[in-house]
Amino acid sequence: MALYNNKLWLLSHIRDSFISTDDTGMSELVMVGDEVPKQLADKLDCYRDPEDSEDDEDISQESYDFHLDMDFEVQRQRSNTAVRLEKLDNAKKRAAKVKNIKWEFCSVPPSEQELTDLFVRKEPRKNVLSTKKSLLSEKLEQCTNLPQNPYIEYAKFDGSAQVGILTRKYKIFLTMLPEEHRNYPMTVSCIATAKIEELIGFILLKCSTIHGDFPLKPVSHYGLYITEEDGEVDHDFPNLDPKESVAKFGFTCLGLVEHKQITKNVSFESSQTMIQIDGTQQITANMHLMKVHTTAMEAPLYQSYRVYIVNKMRAKAEIQLGISGEKIEIDPLQQKNSKFTFVRQKPVSHHIDSVAWCEVTDTKSSGTAFRVVYSSSFGGNTANANVASTQSPILQTSTSFKHYDFEADHNTAEEIVQKINLILELRSSGSRKEYLASKERKQRRRSFHSNK
Amino acid sequence: MVVIDGTSENDQIILATGGYDHTIKIWQTHTGICQRTMQHAESQINALEITPDKLCLAASGYQHLRMYDLASNNPNPTINYEGMTKNVTGVGFQEDGKWMYTGSEDCSARIWDYRLKSPHAAKIFQTSSPVTCVCLHPNQVELLVGDQSGVIHLWDLKTDHNEQFIPEGDTMILDIDIDSEGTHMAAVNSKGRCYIWSLTFGREGEPTKMHPKHKFDAHKCQALKCRFSPDATLLVTTSADQTARIWKTCDFSLLQELTQDNQRWVWDAVFSSDSQYIFTASSDGCAKLWNVKSGHMEREYAGHQKAVIALAFRDAVA
Repeated sequence: MALYNNKLWLLSHIRDSFISTDDTGMSELVMVGDEVPKQLADKLDCYRDPEDSEDDEDISQESYDFHLDMDFEVQRQRSNTAVRLEKLDNAKKRAAKVKNIKWEFCSVPPSEQELTDLFVRKEPRKNVLSTKKSLLSEKLEQCTNLPQNPYIEYAKFDGSAQVGILTRKYKIFLTMLPEEHRNYPMTVSCIATAKIEELIGFILLKCSTIHGDFPLKPVSHYGLYITEEDGEVDHDFPNLDPKESVAKFGFTCLGLVEHKQITKNVSFESSQTMIQIDGTQQITANMHLMKVHTTAMEAPLYQSYRVYIVNKMRAKAEIQLGISGEKIEIDPLQQKNSKFTFVRQKPVSHHIDSVAWCEVTDTKSSGTAFRVVYSSSFGGNTANANVASTQSPILQTSTSFKHYDFEADHNTAEEIVQKINLILELRSSGSRKEYLASKERKQRRRSFHSNK
Repeated sequence: MVVIDGTSENDQIILATGGYDHTIKIWQTHTGICQRTMQHAESQINALEITPDKLCLAASGYQHLRMYDLASNNPNPTINYEGMTKNVTGVGFQEDGKWMYTGSEDCSARIWDYRLKSPHAAKIFQTSSPVTCVCLHPNQVELLVGDQSGVIHLWDLKTDHNEQFIPEGDTMILDIDIDSEGTHMAAVNSKGRCYIWSLTFGREGEPTKMHPKHKFDAHKCQALKCRFSPDATLLVTTSADQTARIWKTCDFSLLQELTQDNQRWVWDAVFSSDSQYIFTASSDGCAKLWNVKSGHMEREYAGHQKAVIALAFRDAVA
């Protein structure tokens, strides 16, 4: 409150506000040099409350604006030209603030009086040998037991106020700090040649000098993570590789996170291999997709397989199964080894549009069983079947659809099932739709019954 | 009262360092933390000195001398002194702050009316060779000027009378110091040799008489700085041989050798006011604090990117 009663401070604050909000810099150029507050200081002396005078000694009459550390500079992305112009502008402003004093030699010789005043011969102090302790010694003794800041070695990576070398500026969110200190990022500037671990060390050094009482652990316990502007750490990405140079990463907003356990990190190599992995994965995916496409395209092409047909009595007979986009053919093969054939299979052919369904029914070690469902009423009976389906779906289902059971080795069975299904999907015949509809109805009925 | 960075406890102690990285750093001496960095963009820093009122820091560089405000956080200089045509090698102040003196490679030593209060204070002393160092006698009226040709000039500021001393012909004088009692003068040269004179006061108006007292090889190669301890019992010399050596002034025997692996050239050194500690500045980019008695390094001030050339230190009595 003392500040707001201080007219000099208010005056200074108004001036500073002008200067800091005027982007053209004109007000500053106009006002620079004339120390209005100081000039007015004497005049205003009479207005000062006597009890305030002590405060005024302590409080600088400059308003806070000018005490703002460089840390609080607002950062935003700008074009190179804008940055260059600003640099020139700043240099001009700086130059305007610096008073230049040229060497001047007064040709008029000084008077005797002036000489005596300026160049006074003094007797050097005798017996300087004193036992008085210096303030430095006292301070050092006071903190002999004080452990040295463990991060002091990282001080050399400080990039603030560096001239002529590349530096990086970061907004660092300190996630390990108590809630109240976490909301605002700490601006850290380090030299561009520092490694990530050295940046971490420097952040911890800066952090430990600001938040002195907070226990901080060795540098290896922390990781830097890519972080949103609002301080939300992006845990989808691993932390930046501590061994890498800061210059390799383009992020300006980072979060310092204490590791609970050792985690993997983003190194440049690993990110490269990641890309490689991605690449191979992509290729594999593409290859797979191509294979799928090829299979789908080749599905309607004729292909014959040797498989066993299984009848209701579980007797097996080897047959040749021919599949194409037109039809499915079953041709019996000559039984070589047995005199008796338990299964007599006539050669049959079904139009592909009569085929409604195909699925793997059983997988055993000896082979895989699969079923092909077809509509027996396909062809001339189609119309009747349609009528029947409207009248009595159950009857129609039981009468219209029949199936064959086959058995083959696993790969062949898979291939056949896939091939047939691809063809069926492509054609999407009436039989198939009918079969699917009836299957659905069955399921619905089942659930209806069970609900009872 | 000087307030640096709001740490009022430390306000009586000021340690400033500067060098080839174009920055000046102010340190908290007991913790080793850098409190503030100031920019000296145009050139390296050759020498640093704190004004007697502890309000400003003078930094000498190429052709310029710049004054920085210690009481504010301004990272830029507030005053620029110009008119010298080459490197400014040394800077100092009259003990009451009446005027400032500089030495420059433009073969001159100057007295500046640095506060623009007494224009008649300005004086110039020309030498035939570039000035390497300047040292004010504690009597505040005699300036000692060392140059590259190996001459030490004793310049009486009041009478402009001057005398020359040549301890070793054609051997660059690199630093001169006089103890606080004004009884001894030391000078070091580019061969690592140290010369000691005992001084007797001239009566009013007469120059100080210098009597060669001792000479010894302080270092194997080029010595860079010499400085007496405030109690005048010790003398420190620094050198390109990577060491700083502390000598007892009673017999000029070696008391301590301050050295550390890879610290490279030791450019500057300064004692604490009780002569118990010593700061050094070296090419490894660090300033260091050493215990004189034990010879151990107690603190390291790291943060500069290049060699630290100059130190300025102000202590106080506890």
